[in-house]
Amino acid sequence: MTRRHLDPVRNVSRADGASGAQGASSACSASNHRPGRSRPVMATALAAALLSATAACGVGGAEGSSAAEGQPKRTGKVSGEITFRTLQLKPNFTAYVQGVIDAFEKKYPGTKVTWEDVPGDGYNEKLVADAQAGGLPDVVNLNTDSFQLLGDRGMLADVARLDPKIAQEYVPGAWEQYKLPGKGDGVYAYPWYVTPEILTYNRELFAKAGLDVNKPPTTVEQFFDQAERIAKAADGRYSAFMADPKGRLPGDWQKMGVPILNKEKDAFAFDTSKAVEWVQRMKKLYAMGAMPKESLTKADDLAQLYGAGKLVFGPGSPGVLKDVKRNSPSAYANTQVAPAVTGTLKHIGIYTQSLGVRKDTAHPDAAAEFAKWVTNGPNQVAFSKQVTIYPSNAKGLADPYFADRGDGKDPETMARAIGAEELKAAQLDANTPVEWTTQVGDAVVREMQKGIKGEEEPAAAVKNAQEAANKILEQQQKHQKQKR
Amino acid sequence: MASGTTRTKRTAHTTAPPAAEAPTTSTSGPATLTSAPSRRAARRSRTALDTDTGLVHRRWWTPYLFLLPGLVMVVLFSLWPFVNTVILSLTDAQILRGGRFVGLENYGRALDDPDFWTATVNSVVYLAVVVPCLVLLPLALAVLVQRKVPGIGFFRSAFYTPVIASAVVVGLIWQWVLRSDGLVNTVFEKLHLISGPIPFLTDSTMLLVSAMIVTIWKGLGYYMVFYLAALGNVPTSLYEAAALDGAGAVRRFLSITIPSVKPMMLLVGTLSAISALRVFTEIYILGGESGGPGGGARTLPFLIRQVGLGFAGETGYAAAVSILLFLLTLAFSLLGHRLSKGDER
Repeated sequence: MTRRHLDPVRNVSRADGASGAQGASSACSASNHRPGRSRPVMATALAAALLSATAACGVGGAEGSSAAEGQPKRTGKVSGEITFRTLQLKPNFTAYVQGVIDAFEKKYPGTKVTWEDVPGDGYNEKLVADAQAGGLPDVVNLNTDSFQLLGDRGMLADVARLDPKIAQEYVPGAWEQYKLPGKGDGVYAYPWYVTPEILTYNRELFAKAGLDVNKPPTTVEQFFDQAERIAKAADGRYSAFMADPKGRLPGDWQKMGVPILNKEKDAFAFDTSKAVEWVQRMKKLYAMGAMPKESLTKADDLAQLYGAGKLVFGPGSPGVLKDVKRNSPSAYANTQVAPAVTGTLKHIGIYTQSLGVRKDTAHPDAAAEFAKWVTNGPNQVAFSKQVTIYPSNAKGLADPYFADRGDGKDPETMARAIGAEELKAAQLDANTPVEWTTQVGDAVVREMQKGIKGEEEPAAAVKNAQEAANKILEQQQKHQKQKR
Repeated sequence: MASGTTRTKRTAHTTAPPAAEAPTTSTSGPATLTSAPSRRAARRSRTALDTDTGLVHRRWWTPYLFLLPGLVMVVLFSLWPFVNTVILSLTDAQILRGGRFVGLENYGRALDDPDFWTATVNSVVYLAVVVPCLVLLPLALAVLVQRKVPGIGFFRSAFYTPVIASAVVVGLIWQWVLRSDGLVNTVFEKLHLISGPIPFLTDSTMLLVSAMIVTIWKGLGYYMVFYLAALGNVPTSLYEAAALDGAGAVRRFLSITIPSVKPMMLLVGTLSAISALRVFTEIYILGGESGGPGGGARTLPFLIRQVGLGFAGETGYAAAVSILLFLLTLAFSLLGHRLSKGDER
């Protein structure tokens, strides 16, 4: 009764149930063997599933022709069924968009617009998949990235050719944005709504640092000077601004007069003393506690921190003011709005949403007229009244709604007036150049993070960043040359 | 006792599919389709069926007809994307730009890429830390909550809750716990344990450790359920016998529990190894888009995403790195398999 009973257990432990028939341990043994066999299968399946997640697109793919070839010709008759795809406008703006569509169909009998809305997550991916399958909608909402993607591959119609006179309708900066660099005078999308960059700050904390509330910074250098004074006054209780090198570059450098690319645009040339100065000052401010430590890698809690009074310089986008107003009325009431820091450029950049027309659309007339209709003055102004966006249409921007400053105190009203004023002068040289791709930005930002944290000398960080950026650019251009 | 056995059987059926066939085949050894006795048995039953119902004209493809729905899914959504990735990895394809065949160039580039090696080292370190924790801690937890004491259901559910919560939500909560002005740092500072905040999220190594903690915390409940199922299969008579022989709790755990759940430990090890190699969300949420300052906490999936992202994304290169990650995963899976083989012998 003593040892014998432990025997089967020993068996299990020693041979792990190889003696399968032994009464009590048989259940164990069965479960021993099965996983042994199915495990590699499961592992392979799991690994394959992992791979399939990364295998987003096919090998062949739709090969675009050059942008100028195969452009559609207008027939003069506006009719036919077209499809229209927007980016995340349902359900908040269903009534507005449907109203615009209905009015268009009424104006041009014989047209029919089928509207589909796609959520923001994975919008570009879906667009790419559809483009590859040849299923692009006739009129499609594009952002800066997807415009570049489809335009560069020659999938969009030249709207300047479809409508020679339409250019004057839009703010110059917005219109210029839809030329493809190095591909002639063609314009490949109609500019739509836009949000300009502004400067917001907490009046009370700003004054506490001994700064004049009515004298906001206008250059990057001033901005850093003021941030330094704020950091001294704050003594760790709050921060001046978000480090966010990803959001700050290359804009800050452009505003400091640093050339991003060389004249031929085939190499990055930002390794200058000014850029090094930028890193040095950021490094000093970061060490002083002028920025939240985590903001070096993550800046998505800006509105939260600003709303809690833990940040002096607030959101740079008018739309976020609405969140601040809703979530923290006291911070909102304390907010001062000023034009964005523009430094030596003296104007802001412009990033509009746009409407592209599919190059091989069956109904170029209807598609072009519809895209024009959606982006015309009245329709864009009506849209702006529903949500914090601005028209890219010159006539729309001239609407009295955008000139009204109220009593000059309400942040949202002020943001609207200041933003609209900025947009009229907006120019593309303040935009991030297309050569500054996700990969280039990432490589530069990583070096900057090291520099700002003090893991690398500022000069070395800028030098390494430029080398890394040029290596990526070279790789990109190698791809493009092979295609031509 | 009888009711006890049926209960264990039911658990086996519902939670541990591998053990499900145990009752029918346990007498004839391991339950495999190829073993001679079972095949003979199958043939016998088939003949019986043929004569009874007259189903003589079976086609060779009849079984495949039944397999078809499953096969189509597997081929379309697992096999083809996999093959496609292999092909892509041999081209210089970009998004929306079909590639040109470049042979093994992408692989050479990966092996020359310092970012690739950083990511590989991070992934392997991640695995080396996370897997042992996820094999042992959930087992301890399962043993604790296995007892039938009043209110244990609450604890079982509580331990499982993190599994249900989305990785993003979990990441955000931990972010607020670990930030320089977060819960942990504030408490430590108030207690005068530290002079400055611990850089949980702003130092690459610490960030990796923080992400591991989140992964382990989130995985505890999941693997605990695996072990609960395995523990349910251990006959209570073994414990009773051991107790009669004077074995203490520790002795019983080491001599009965561990050997009995060993196959499950290997399974959990393999599964957690695969998921450790795939880790992305935790690092992304905690360390931002760059994967920690200077990208020092990037893992391989992070690198794959970064390379393939945006309108200049290099699909071909990303595919090559994916394949290398696949090979790494395969290597660890085979290692797990080898370990279990050694056990069976």
